[in-house]
Amino acid sequence: MTTTKILGALVLALCIGASAYAHHSAVGVDRSKTVTVEGVVKTFKWGNPHSWIEMEVTKDGKTELWNFEMLPPSYLIPAGWTRSTIKIGEKIKVTANGMLDGTPGGIFVSVTLPDGKTLTQRAGRGQ
Amino acid sequence: MNTSQLGRWAIGALLLAAIVRAPDLAAQQRGTLGAVAPENLAKPRPKPPFDLTGAWLHNGNERFDPPAGFVLTPEAKVHYDAAQKATAEGKLYRNDIGLCWPAGLPIMMTRVWPVTMIQLPTAVYMISELMNSLRVVYLDGRPHTDPDIAVPSFNGESIGHWEGDTLVIDTTNFVDSHHWIHDRLGIPASDALHIVERVKMLEGGNRLEMQITLTDPKVFKGDWVFTKFWNRVNNRDIAEVECLPDLNDHMPTVQSELNIRK
Repeated sequence: MTTTKILGALVLALCIGASAYAHHSAVGVDRSKTVTVEGVVKTFKWGNPHSWIEMEVTKDGKTELWNFEMLPPSYLIPAGWTRSTIKIGEKIKVTANGMLDGTPGGIFVSVTLPDGKTLTQRAGRGQ
Repeated sequence: MNTSQLGRWAIGALLLAAIVRAPDLAAQQRGTLGAVAPENLAKPRPKPPFDLTGAWLHNGNERFDPPAGFVLTPEAKVHYDAAQKATAEGKLYRNDIGLCWPAGLPIMMTRVWPVTMIQLPTAVYMISELMNSLRVVYLDGRPHTDPDIAVPSFNGESIGHWEGDTLVIDTTNFVDSHHWIHDRLGIPASDALHIVERVKMLEGGNRLEMQITLTDPKVFKGDWVFTKFWNRVNNRDIAEVECLPDLNDHMPTVQSELNIRK
């Protein structure tokens, strides 16, 4: 397989991955880069069609609420999650594709838990 | 109670009875039994060529995009152009599904979500995991409801019949607002949308071929034909998946100020 073919297959795989289980379109998300923020968990919703994390992020003495859209448990369970993976009040670090308009939050990519363990939302994928 | 009062009371009672019984009368005039009425289920019918009962998932490999040379009507092009402009600016145009409007057909059958199907002699009940949308395909020989009394819906009215080894499903009576043929591209659905699906069972019952032909003269010229393949997934059940206000409060893609809602 040539490099182009591999790249093509990878792009295709990513496109399919992005469309799978989307309940709505995700235009408005900056897929070209990620942001990483550290904060305190306010809510961790384990649910359909999306799970989500709501987190308090304090910067320069100001606290903002960040929301991260996640895949449903049918994806998270094979990626090593349970509903108690993230606990309210814990300090965690979340990496996400942020919003183009600067809305605090975005599409979840990965989390670093208080014990240093990192989890993504798809089994067998770096991101 | 005198005779006149008694007469008025009797007329009132008769009118009330007529109103209460109106739905029954309508059903009787239609001459159809409900799909799960024992009498309907028990009617003698030829053995169907296959049974769709099972959980099905298509892998999204067959992209649902307009065919080459696709021409939109001027009314539909307004939405298409607005969606292209919004996408180029990183915005979202009329994100109705994100705002909890039902996806409807064809999106129920094109977006990657599992669909559980239960086939009876008189109907196939399809339940999509996407917002638990219910679609019923009637197989009991009834015609489409008269458009003058049919209630338009997002999934429309589906009537199926067998042609050899193929199940042919004809669907009409769609709603014409907040309903999309392709939401990301801004291609709306109108009340003239007509969908014909030709379904074949492959690989000993483990794979479905679904050829879908869309026409909607208020939206685009000609036919839009595409084929999707569904795989039987025996390790899946349908979960409760509802679009809820508190879900949307936490979805930055729905809450974004840049979304074009009207």
